[in-house]
Amino acid sequence: MSSRDAILSKIKDNKPDLLELPTINVDVFSDSRNVEDEFILKVEVAGGQVLKAASNDAVLDQINTMFPDSKVKYSTLENTADFNTVDFDAIKSPKELEDLDVLILESEIGVAENGAVWLKDATLPMRVLPFITKHLVIVLNKENLVPFMHQAYGKLIGEDHDFGVFLAGPSKTADIEQSLVIGAHGALSLTLFLK
Amino acid sequence: MSHSKAATIFNKDEKKVNWHDKALWFVRHKRDKSAHSVEGWEELRNLGQGIKAHMLSNLDNYLIQFEENALKNGVQVHWAQDGDEHNRIVHSILQEHNAKKVVKSKSMLTEECHLNPFLEADGIEVIDTDLGERIVQLAKEPPSHIVLPAIHKTKEDVDELFQEHLGTKPCDGDPQYLTGEARKHLREKFVSADAAITGVNFAIADTGGFVVCTNEGNADMGAHLAPVHIACMGVEKIIPKQEHLGVFLRLLGRSATGQHITTYSSHFKKPRNGAKMHIVIVDNGRTKQLSRPDFRASLQCIRCGACMNTCPIYRRSGGHSYDATIPGPIGSILSPGKDLKKHSSLPFASTLCGSCSDVCPVKIDIHAQLYKWRQIITKETEQPFVKKASMKMMGDMFAKPTKFEKVGKMARWSLRNLPKGVINSKPNVWGKERDLPTGPKESFDDWYKKRKKDE
Repeated sequence: MSSRDAILSKIKDNKPDLLELPTINVDVFSDSRNVEDEFILKVEVAGGQVLKAASNDAVLDQINTMFPDSKVKYSTLENTADFNTVDFDAIKSPKELEDLDVLILESEIGVAENGAVWLKDATLPMRVLPFITKHLVIVLNKENLVPFMHQAYGKLIGEDHDFGVFLAGPSKTADIEQSLVIGAHGALSLTLFLK
Repeated sequence: MSHSKAATIFNKDEKKVNWHDKALWFVRHKRDKSAHSVEGWEELRNLGQGIKAHMLSNLDNYLIQFEENALKNGVQVHWAQDGDEHNRIVHSILQEHNAKKVVKSKSMLTEECHLNPFLEADGIEVIDTDLGERIVQLAKEPPSHIVLPAIHKTKEDVDELFQEHLGTKPCDGDPQYLTGEARKHLREKFVSADAAITGVNFAIADTGGFVVCTNEGNADMGAHLAPVHIACMGVEKIIPKQEHLGVFLRLLGRSATGQHITTYSSHFKKPRNGAKMHIVIVDNGRTKQLSRPDFRASLQCIRCGACMNTCPIYRRSGGHSYDATIPGPIGSILSPGKDLKKHSSLPFASTLCGSCSDVCPVKIDIHAQLYKWRQIITKETEQPFVKKASMKMMGDMFAKPTKFEKVGKMARWSLRNLPKGVINSKPNVWGKERDLPTGPKESFDDWYKKRKKDE
């Protein structure tokens, strides 16, 4: 018998009688918090910052002021070709992105309860981008904020993603004596623009 | 070595133990703060428990469904009955891709299977990339906590380790500097890796995808750069549907460190263009645990570590004193199922206070299972003579009210009148490192009778 069949047959013999799968009633979790205020608070708790911007141009202006010395930049926003210095057609391996200074992405879901935003690989030229960049900038429409993870997954039903990530704040670690250090292996900073 | 002997060694450095105790209690406190901010937290725990219990009752079918979907996604699926088979499978995948340099993100399963020494024996370099895991790897130690692997190390320890292995400058243990140096060192490893190994936090039956949670981003740096990604999971990591992640991701980070969610909750489904993805599904004793009605709920565990942070024994004895891959309360109910004799002291490393069960996000009855393991261990393994004799004496005393009253009277008198040197003398383990209270003049029974009479 193959290991697969051996494992499956042991489970079949050893498992208890079928128990019912509970259904999730989202109503029991609802609170009176304002979704936008809560989202801003939780992004800050996670170590990121939230700024407001009316347009993509306004985002670029602010980013150019924030990171004046950045050399390698990429944005997936519409009409931002002038900002980009990376030519993905010329890149053979994701390892060549090691020097990326600033990356600007768009997200279509923001979660108020934890400040997480959803990034999917359909909008990423390469999966490693949001992790390998030094500074990560994400633009999100206010209308795309949801209160809890349940609604976020509700929005993902029927969508097919090869890869996606809920990302909350810059990378961090507290593995040395529980001292929080921002910037472990991923982005050193996260800036979120609410449109 | 028994847990209590190993704990005695850990307790030799009182300052360090006090720090360890307080640091973990602080994490527990952060967990409380963040859990209490969630409306319906208890309902969330009920859902977590219910979904996992249902999953276990239909696990074979969910695994079949998961495999079918993963194959459709272009992922290769492997099955391993034990740790050795798991190691051989991972090794053969690496050989197939001629991979000599491997980066690994946190996976308690690969610790359990002792994957690193197996691969290293064949000249393969395996680098643990979670900062805490890298620290203990350099120190040639196992992790002492499943979420905070290097919690037993001081910043000065890390400073010295990094000077020796990474050539860093002496810095009085500056965490910012040390983390920055680790980032540079591991960046090199990520960029040059031939393969990435990750664990799996949740595997979703209805999509064939899986989720890996980290704060550092090390799983993603590994998996998205290397040409091969191998994800290793125990059979019990399955959840039926993607929407169930809504429940578990709300529970996991808050229970683990008090974060509302981990920084990265990465949803892997298909390999990226030109890359390969493998999943290894491992039993290694889990189906046996499933056969034990009293203990199968231990398989609901989502590895948050909350039971360790809250445990008064764990906090004061350290993870290494458990001498098991998973330490703490949850480890003490998982390990005896694997090797009853080796781990026979672990279910006794508890006050049975029940705090572990209270904080468990999937409501495993940990303290009840600790008690049940004790019953089995006492029957099946040889107990020390003193313990056997004293238990017998105590049993006899508690069964006879007049005897109990007599012994009680004697004990109360002794506590009032004997000199401290006698009370705290060596044979009385209850007087070790602590003063006993002064014995009251009357027993509860006397007090109660008097009160009745006065009514």
